[in-house]
Amino acid sequence: MRAGIFKETYPELVRLTDSMPVKVWSILLVLGASLLPALVGSYALSFGTTIVITSIGVVGLNLLTGTCGLISLGHAGFMAVGAYGAGIMALDYGWSAIPAILVGGFAASLSSLLVGVPSLRLKGLYLAITTLAFTVIVTHLILNMPQLTRGSAGLFMPVADLMGIEMKSTGAFYLFALALAVLAVLGVLNLMRSRVGRAFLAIREQDIAAEMMGIHLARFKLLAFAISAFYTGIAGALFAYQVRYINVDSFGLLLSIEALGIIIVGGLGSVAGAVIGTVFMTLLPEGIRILFDLLGAGLQEIFSTRALELRGLIYGAVIILVLRFQPEGLIGIWREVRRIWTNWPFRY
Amino acid sequence: MNYLIALIAAGLATGAIYGLVAIGFAIIYKATGIINFAQGEMVMLNAYLGLSIATFSGVGFWALVPLVILASILVGLAVEFLLVRPMLGEPAISIVMMTVGLAVCLRSLVILIWGAEPQVLPVHPAEDVVQILGARLYSTQILAIVCLALVVVGFFVFYRHTRAGLAMRASSSNETVALLMGIDVRRIYALAWGLASVTGGLAGLLVATIYELGPDMFAFGLRSFPAVILGGLDSAIGAAVGGAIIGVLENLGEGYIGRGLKEIVGFVVILMVLMVRPYGMFGTRDVERV
Repeated sequence: MRAGIFKETYPELVRLTDSMPVKVWSILLVLGASLLPALVGSYALSFGTTIVITSIGVVGLNLLTGTCGLISLGHAGFMAVGAYGAGIMALDYGWSAIPAILVGGFAASLSSLLVGVPSLRLKGLYLAITTLAFTVIVTHLILNMPQLTRGSAGLFMPVADLMGIEMKSTGAFYLFALALAVLAVLGVLNLMRSRVGRAFLAIREQDIAAEMMGIHLARFKLLAFAISAFYTGIAGALFAYQVRYINVDSFGLLLSIEALGIIIVGGLGSVAGAVIGTVFMTLLPEGIRILFDLLGAGLQEIFSTRALELRGLIYGAVIILVLRFQPEGLIGIWREVRRIWTNWPFRY
Repeated sequence: MNYLIALIAAGLATGAIYGLVAIGFAIIYKATGIINFAQGEMVMLNAYLGLSIATFSGVGFWALVPLVILASILVGLAVEFLLVRPMLGEPAISIVMMTVGLAVCLRSLVILIWGAEPQVLPVHPAEDVVQILGARLYSTQILAIVCLALVVVGFFVFYRHTRAGLAMRASSSNETVALLMGIDVRRIYALAWGLASVTGGLAGLLVATIYELGPDMFAFGLRSFPAVILGGLDSAIGAAVGGAIIGVLENLGEGYIGRGLKEIVGFVVILMVLMVRPYGMFGTRDVERV
């Protein structure tokens, strides 16, 4: 049994991981994920792509809400800005995918300053409502600037291309998105072990105290917004390339709520939790559909006519149940299992 | 000039509904420190319950009102007892997210039970057009304004002159001390949820008579957010005033500036108000000690 782990130098303390199994399993996980196109059909792969893209956005939201403690209901807005930014670049200016996606990300980042500035004076739920206002205003602007955004007609996206080669197959696009997601996760993990990450945590715990400790509140809150929106903008741009058609209805308030639901189910403030939550919540409706299929034709019929409502009902119920019985989220279960595993046969 | 008065009058009527919904937000925030994101959905649920009660019992409109109030109280108490009470002591964000989950659930539930098609309430109060200061208003719109005024007066009296109101103010100012003074804080919470649900039920009934019953009624909750932020989250009277102001501004924006502005005027206004007064017009400033 291990008596404890002793860190003797500062770099050792902030290392990403010092455990060999974690490294091995992470690499195996990425390898396994990148083999997915060879293993499953295009229907299942579309879930894979959705999960990968959603986790980029959710990791971004988690950085803001979970790590920095600023509740945002505006991420659907950032996603819309990212999607339209990339879409307009690709369609009207013929940019290729990577620069277009980056433009989407930076556009979302810039727009986040609009919400970030009021956030310097607002606390908690007031901020949530302000970010909500941002989503509403973005939707309105998209609808009423048709010369730029084509208004309610929406954008028909071209096929994503990488250095002149079109990613025609879903597998290629999945791998592209996966690569970006891995970069995104590594980026956040490294951010978290820097001064910036620790500043975010301090702000979450008690922002006035953090300010006393020499953290420039305005700078770091705006930075949290900008990074978070950048991630979400990238997710939005990828989403646009994935579904190939976007309009304002794709970015309703429900999207922000679903994203918050994911980070709560996964476990607030944890990157791994955000990813696990994404996998769980994306596959949940499909799992329930399969369950209904097994239960018989009558239920199957209800599902086909009222699929959206049932999905909403279950989504809400899962959020409530997790909050009620597992406030730490799915990552909490994992931590518990790991604790029991290490300490067995002792309780602690 | 007539156009202006007409816009303001119609805006006041819509604003009255916003005000009623917003008072619900404010009561719960004042008592428990959370925003009930399911308020709009409770408005919708209570209105649909009203529809079912009216269909099954066949009572007239004025007899329906107390029945809806009763049903609303039950809904509010049920939510408080089943969902909020077990989570007391959790951080505020958890309880707020629980109400978000509840909102998503209720939205689907209403469609699953009552269907997605808009419906009409079978009973109506007598409807004529009334002329006030050159503005023509439906009597139902005037009913909305009167209803808001009565509710505001009611809450003013309640907070100032009743034991329960005093207890509610005490527990919102300091929960622990209130508990030590012998106030049953859990009962105060239940009372707050019940009252908020009632103002929601009244708003729902008004929406059902002025417009129609539809599964998109929850949007009134969303559009009342600016009202309660403008008034200050912890002030019921402020929420009512905020509702009236937002309603009028929406109409003026739509009438003078451009179409489609109606949806966003409120949100633009609160963005600007919050820059200047982060705690709203009537809200109390939060003094924080580290």
